[in-house]
Amino acid sequence: MKKKETFSEKRRDIRLLLVDDEADFRNTLAKRMQKRGLNVLQANGGEECLSLLAEDPVDVVVMDVKMPGMSGIDALHHIRAMDIETEVILLTGHAATQDGIEGIKSGAFDYLSKPVRFEHLLGKITQAHNKIIADRQEKETAEYKVRIQQQMIATERLAALGTLAAGVAHEINNPLAIINEAAGYLSQLLKKEALAQIPHKESFDKALLKIENSVKRARNITHQLLGTVRKSNALLVEVDLPELGSEIINLFHKEIKDRKIEVVQNEKRIKPIWTDPDQLRQVLINLVGNAIHAISDQGCITIQTESTAEGATISVSDTGTGIPKERLEKIFEPFFSTKPPGEGTGLGLFVTREIIEKLGGSISVDSDIGHGSRFTVRIPSRHPEMQDTNLVE
Amino acid sequence: MIKVPTNILLVDDEEDFVEMLALRLEEMGENVVKAYGGQQCLDFLDQESIDVVILDIKMPSMDGIQVLKAIKSRHPLVEVILLTGHGTTETAIKGMKLGAYDYLQKPADFEDLTNKLAGASKKKEDQDERIRQAEARELLRRGGNI
Repeated sequence: MKKKETFSEKRRDIRLLLVDDEADFRNTLAKRMQKRGLNVLQANGGEECLSLLAEDPVDVVVMDVKMPGMSGIDALHHIRAMDIETEVILLTGHAATQDGIEGIKSGAFDYLSKPVRFEHLLGKITQAHNKIIADRQEKETAEYKVRIQQQMIATERLAALGTLAAGVAHEINNPLAIINEAAGYLSQLLKKEALAQIPHKESFDKALLKIENSVKRARNITHQLLGTVRKSNALLVEVDLPELGSEIINLFHKEIKDRKIEVVQNEKRIKPIWTDPDQLRQVLINLVGNAIHAISDQGCITIQTESTAEGATISVSDTGTGIPKERLEKIFEPFFSTKPPGEGTGLGLFVTREIIEKLGGSISVDSDIGHGSRFTVRIPSRHPEMQDTNLVE
Repeated sequence: MIKVPTNILLVDDEEDFVEMLALRLEEMGENVVKAYGGQQCLDFLDQESIDVVILDIKMPSMDGIQVLKAIKSRHPLVEVILLTGHGTTETAIKGMKLGAYDYLQKPADFEDLTNKLAGASKKKEDQDERIRQAEARELLRRGGNI
């Protein structure tokens, strides 16, 4: 009958250890418990019980209080000292309630007086097991809460940093603009006839040029930093990934030709995804640009797109220098760059990852020193801001 | 060919920036009037003859778009070039739809700025010329009826 089967199934999870020096009593009880679906181990005394538990803890221990050698209460103390999830049910002598109460004070789940009614004992064992499950769940929930809180703090800190960075970048643009104009003005003055013959004119020109170039560099950095804190006015449309890939390759047409790089694109037709094409363009420009940079002369860039269950992936591979394993973690860090100072800002991959995560996706990298690298971007078929909308396709 | 100076009105709350940019533009032969806020901007437009306004739209004290609307409604022929900070590019494009000629992000490349100035200035000149010709035709028409 169905009801009995359900109970049996539940009890199949329960691992029970029977501890009693009376072998007959123990064996009979064990057989009956096994018939009901429990996993039963046996021990004839306190010491054997403890060594069995040390090897492989059980859920519930049913133990006689009065045993030669180590008493049930002593064994109970040892079990509690082991700090395992096991619950102990004591079997006391008839009318020896003192033992039972002492047992509970020492950490037993409960006690029953002999002679024990089988159903009663089974019920207690089930109760003890349920307590273990409930305690375990509580512990997991508490641990989960701690993890979530830590994640929230980290996220808040990142968000605060992001906002701080954006704020700083925004503020810096103002004095940068002034430096730009002032330096430009000096350059203009130096071009005048009256100043054509001044001493050190070349040095003036040189220094001013450095100022102007540095302003451009600083501007790139602030613009990239500010680019990551975009308000969510994303324009969401159906994007054909292979087409976007081709578009970006065309953008780099000249560099590709100059460096004699071969470009391979898989021709697969994939399902379009709903996302922000401008953001994806920025990502691809970064990845393809990096791929071109990695190939010093002659090589191949491969762009592959695939449909997945959750959306689509696009990967950009190059046959360039590759990235050493120790660096693979660092490349996504802000201001990490392999380019000489002045070329690039070191923010490319950092910003790229931020953008992709905002699009609901993820980015990963494989690399082989001397053979090249592959960056794979996963994008969900629906932008996170569209989760609740129903689209008619 | 003699260069005709463009009459430029510079509007930005950063005084140092206005001073430097004005010096550079004057060095290039333009006439520059300096304003540091929206109201001052409108006052100068009423008093002076201005061809192009270079307007910073991220000024905290006023809504750049409101000033732009006021300029376009009171002086529709004056061209406006917007200067934006990074977070306000969307506003700049909105401004263009409201009649601004174009926009630049600060810190702006001076060559870009002078190119856009030339374009805005030409647009105004061309329109001014069309108006002159229309007025001339009107005079002739009237003259012919006497």
